[in-house]
Amino acid sequence: MTAASPTQARPRPGAGAQLARHARRYWQLWVMAAPAIAFVAVFAYVPMYGLQLAFREFDFTAGLTGGEWVGLKYFQQFFESPQFWTLIRNTVVISMTTLVVGFVAPIALALIVNQVVNRSRKKFLQTATYLPHFISIVVIVGMLQVFLSPSSGLITRVAEFFGASGGNLLGSSAFVQVYVISEVWQHCGWNSIIYLAALASVDTQLYEAARIDGAGRFTIIRHIDVPALVPTMIVLLILNMGNVLNTGFEKIFLMQNPLNLGVSEVIATYVYKIGILSNQFSYGTAIGLFNTLINFTFLVVTNQVAKRVSNTSLW
Amino acid sequence: MTRAGQIRRRAVPALAALTVGALALTACGGGGDGGDGGGGGGDDTIQILVLKHALTGPMADMAWVGQIEEAAGVTIEWEEVSADWEQKKSTMLAAGDIPDLVVGTNTITNSDLATFVGLFEDLSDDLDSLPNVTGMFEAVPATEAMATQPEGTIFSLPSYRRFWPETGTRQFINQQWLDNLGLEQPTTWDELHEVLLAFRDEDANGNGDPNDEIPMDWAPAGDAGFGLFQPTVLLGSLGLPISDGGGDGYFVEDGEVKNFLVDERYRDLIAFLHELYADGLISQDVMTQDYSAYQSVARGDGDTAKVGFTWGWAGSDRVGAQLAGQYAAMAPLRADDSIAESDLTWSYDSYLLNYGVNSITMSAQSDNKEGALAVINAFYDQDISLQVLWGDFEDNITKVDDSTYEVLPPADESTDPSTWKWTTTLADNGPGWIRDDIEVALPADLAEAVEQSEPLQAAIANVDPATDIFPSALIKMSQEDLSALSINNTAIFSIAMQRWATWITEGGVENDWDGYVTEIENSGMTQNLEIHQGYYDEFSASQG
Repeated sequence: MTAASPTQARPRPGAGAQLARHARRYWQLWVMAAPAIAFVAVFAYVPMYGLQLAFREFDFTAGLTGGEWVGLKYFQQFFESPQFWTLIRNTVVISMTTLVVGFVAPIALALIVNQVVNRSRKKFLQTATYLPHFISIVVIVGMLQVFLSPSSGLITRVAEFFGASGGNLLGSSAFVQVYVISEVWQHCGWNSIIYLAALASVDTQLYEAARIDGAGRFTIIRHIDVPALVPTMIVLLILNMGNVLNTGFEKIFLMQNPLNLGVSEVIATYVYKIGILSNQFSYGTAIGLFNTLINFTFLVVTNQVAKRVSNTSLW
Repeated sequence: MTRAGQIRRRAVPALAALTVGALALTACGGGGDGGDGGGGGGDDTIQILVLKHALTGPMADMAWVGQIEEAAGVTIEWEEVSADWEQKKSTMLAAGDIPDLVVGTNTITNSDLATFVGLFEDLSDDLDSLPNVTGMFEAVPATEAMATQPEGTIFSLPSYRRFWPETGTRQFINQQWLDNLGLEQPTTWDELHEVLLAFRDEDANGNGDPNDEIPMDWAPAGDAGFGLFQPTVLLGSLGLPISDGGGDGYFVEDGEVKNFLVDERYRDLIAFLHELYADGLISQDVMTQDYSAYQSVARGDGDTAKVGFTWGWAGSDRVGAQLAGQYAAMAPLRADDSIAESDLTWSYDSYLLNYGVNSITMSAQSDNKEGALAVINAFYDQDISLQVLWGDFEDNITKVDDSTYEVLPPADESTDPSTWKWTTTLADNGPGWIRDDIEVALPADLAEAVEQSEPLQAAIANVDPATDIFPSALIKMSQEDLSALSINNTAIFSIAMQRWATWITEGGVENDWDGYVTEIENSGMTQNLEIHQGYYDEFSASQG
């Protein structure tokens, strides 16, 4: 909008006139953007009025916003809850591990796929790695349970054959690893597509020049491919940071069993159990709001850091 | 550019904008239509939401529905739900958008009744139009206690099924394996240990492979408490009375409400189970398998049984009709010789099995109150109650005379009676009152369960429902207490269930016990016990 102000000799028009002129000139663009704006407004901004439930006692007869104002009572209740530190620890461990591994793996995969010269093999590799993305979560968890069963699981048996008796892979000791590895396995191929697109846009002359200068494969990757990916990497990292405490609810919930509950109870599953299943709407909203605030903070901080460090940022 | 062109250029985005607006309007309109759902369609239409078992067929196929419509003089529109009710419910209730009646055992829970004040009709001033319900209250006073809130209001009515055994969990051992190995049925924990070791080491099922026997298995415990077919019944070996398979763990001793999660007898049970697990006597999947895996493993392979000692509803249900003959229903075990036969207890589940709490609930906004009340009354009719429970007359029940009935075997011979019941009608999910003065020839599955409860009778009789268990079905709590309990319980069970699973599989209960007890008490157990004690004192005072 600011870039649109033309250089004019006339004195600056008032804000109203400026707005009118802007509307006259760009109204088609605004109309085109209107559905998206309406969508975000209706489904993201309007529901926010319900957030006040976190500060009120839920009272059905008085309606969603009519309950008694209790301030930070529910936040305090959450911070003082004996569950609090366990939940935070579990959530951070799971989401941070997923974030780091899930961030590096698609980049590595894209660099590898990019090295495959044969077209049909490249296509096969790409298809094979992104197909798991389309398997439903319920099926994935079912597969995990079958493969990792301590008495009859395929993977357990293979591990035993090689002399590793790592205990119960569905139990608490392996939960984070199993979750992260299966998560990365499922989405790595899909997430690498965007990096492959970035690599496709690299000027081939650069490769030729590098080869003439005697650069090997790793040198080319290091000095041409990786720098080409950096802007994409940073934008995706910032976006991922905005979800840092949003662990995948469905998958964790389905993977929970009494053995791993100590490490698998995260904020999302706790909110579901407390808020939806036990009718604690105010308490559930308060925890959800807390979660969102943390995510928002992470997003802003990462964005600022990225802006300082590499001059790439969302805003 | 021509003028026409200009107009067209302006018209397209304007049209787009209009379309978006129209979409928004229709979306609102759709919401509005749903909004008057509670009102009912025509004058004599009653809308009923029914929570069905996944197996149950469409309501339109049930002949008793026609009888209810006739008796009440209304047309019923069904909304049939058989999955994900927990999620749907919260939003539906919070929106205040409910049909005239909601049918299904505990579909609307006590916690919902306490949270959504004003959404449900108070039936206590409508009892004049519900003669069948008042009849049930008189004949079975417990049903009135289950229905009545502390202030005397009645928002939801229970069902009464009369014929169910007093416990849901029966104990089975593979008698054929015992005979093959020349062993006797165990009577104490040590003897059980010996027997299970023999099951593990020998080729008990005689198929040539000594390693495919699973000596012991039980039903998966959830992460929110205990239930039927779980080893909590072994607490009875130590004389600790439990109900509903364990549930939240509350019981009563000498007028004091206690919870077994912090009782030393529970610690001793875990220690014993860990000994068994460490010896490889318990299925390795016991903590992580789901219910269907637990069921199918025990069905074995043809005539070859896989599981030696287990708990279940009835033999044919637990291990399948083909293997049921190999198993014997077994009497409770004593922990050791210091426990007398007369101290033994077993899970008392009659409130859970013979009654269905909150089985029918009425909307306070119903347009057709008389019609809705007439439908409720019709559900508690003698003949309709029987048909709701076991299926239609002629097809599934023969009415011999006005007080004699016979439940028929499944018309489809390939299914078992239990599956058949759930396929053809609402079964245990429906409201109804099975009279105490009628004769019913029971279906095979129920008769089997009753028969296999015989060895447990003495131990169940040792549990006095008035003084040994916390009668949660008969007590209605205030919303404040219910929300305190549910928040505390989420914290307590996320610790307790994980420790339970870890201690059994990895051991360590002896060393960690004291710290665990403190942790549980600080997570709200102390407050929970105070709340329960208060209600219990009130309850026992009212019982005289």
